[in-house]
Amino acid sequence: MGDQLGRGEEFVKKAEKKLKGWGLFGSKYEDAADLFDKAANCFKLAKSWDKAGSTYVKLVNCYLKSESKHEAAQAYVNAAQCYKKTATKEAISCLQQAVNLFCDIGRLSMVARYYKEIAELYESEQNIEQAMDYFEKAADFFQNEDVSSSANQCKLKVAQFAAQIEQYQKAIEIYEEIARQSLTNNLLKYGVKGHLLNAGICQLCKSDVVAITNALERYQDLDPTFSGTREYRLLADIASAIDEEDVTKFTEVVKEFDSMTPLDSWKTTLLLRVKDRLKAKELEEDDLT
Amino acid sequence: MSEVFEGYERQYCELSANLSRKCNSASVIHDSEQKKQKLSEISSGIDEADVLIRKMDLEARSLQPGVKATLLAKLREYKADLNKLKKEFKRISSPNAHDELLESGMADVHSVSAEQRDRLSMSVERLNQSSDRIKESRRTVLETEELGISILEDLHQQRQTLLHAHNKLYDVDSAIDKSKKVLTTMSRRITKNKWIAGSVIVALVLAIVLILYYKISHR
Repeated sequence: MGDQLGRGEEFVKKAEKKLKGWGLFGSKYEDAADLFDKAANCFKLAKSWDKAGSTYVKLVNCYLKSESKHEAAQAYVNAAQCYKKTATKEAISCLQQAVNLFCDIGRLSMVARYYKEIAELYESEQNIEQAMDYFEKAADFFQNEDVSSSANQCKLKVAQFAAQIEQYQKAIEIYEEIARQSLTNNLLKYGVKGHLLNAGICQLCKSDVVAITNALERYQDLDPTFSGTREYRLLADIASAIDEEDVTKFTEVVKEFDSMTPLDSWKTTLLLRVKDRLKAKELEEDDLT
Repeated sequence: MSEVFEGYERQYCELSANLSRKCNSASVIHDSEQKKQKLSEISSGIDEADVLIRKMDLEARSLQPGVKATLLAKLREYKADLNKLKKEFKRISSPNAHDELLESGMADVHSVSAEQRDRLSMSVERLNQSSDRIKESRRTVLETEELGISILEDLHQQRQTLLHAHNKLYDVDSAIDKSKKVLTTMSRRITKNKWIAGSVIVALVLAIVLILYYKISHR
């Protein structure tokens, strides 16, 4: 693919010459943009993502000068996709600028989609707070466009991250809200118990015993079938284990639930936190006595 | 005074328990030598018990009338017990064809119990296996349920996308109509301009020709 690189370089040179020189009828920007586009394509074929990304950025300038914001935004998006393979930071900045342009044009659904992409990039970099931020923004925009399923998906991610960084109240609210919304929908109502379980686990992490019992009652009101499920029994058993401050009972109950359906890593982390707190309380009591 | 009686009572109880145990074990033994030994033991035991009961009787009669009544009642019980033991003894000691017929089933009690134990362990084993299998199938059912839930969520999302696209298409439709109108206007304007330009050129050419004609005709 060496010749692709060569061709790409050629196109870039031609385009820059066009930009510097005079153009007929002022169409030089469009011509240059066209050439830049071809160049970037060649670079993509040659798999040199950095060059392709930078060429796309030059392309953006041409489009901006020729007042076609939509094309410019699209070019930013292409640049970001190229940079995704190499440098995530560049990708994020390109996407950010693309988002601004889309906002200007008024294509809010694309704004929402690209916010979600930025958030996912932050997530892959383990920058949880930024990721949470952007997921929230994305959820907002999705809600404005009435695409409630994507909005719920983004909100779920927000709740997940919130619980990870110990913002339990926020997570609980989101999970309960989603559970309430899902109840009315025929397709989603089977997922309600999963959401209530997550909300319940966050309540346990807050370790406010009265709130937990209230919450469990509330969930039963919301969904009458919830009390028959294994999830409810798990939550009730853990609540009573915390009451009695019995770590072995806690471990038993969790092990039993885990043997039926393996717990994912998020739940395991949170339950581990609860267990540590319980153990600490137990040790504390032993010290005092 | 009744302490003596109680002492005799205790001795008798021990003895009778002992004798009944010996009777049971003797009924299982088939070796004639051992059996004879056991039988002689039992008979001596029974004689001792007899002596004890007679002593208890004498004691009881020498006591007060109130106490005497209760003690005599107890004594009657013990006598009945001893008679039972004697009958048992007689049954064992006399080799009876009737007994042998009935006993043939109990020949190897130990091997029989071993068999029963084996069968029990096998059935326990099988029960455990089936309960394991049930647990495994329950696990699979739960997994399937989770899978079903995620599939339903995907379907929900796709439904929303489809509805959204459907609505967008209406917008696209009206946009296309508008653009069609714009394009027809544009093409009409172009033809109009062409005609105007054409007619202007024709007029100019005519004007030039006329002027030239006048210039030439006035020369």
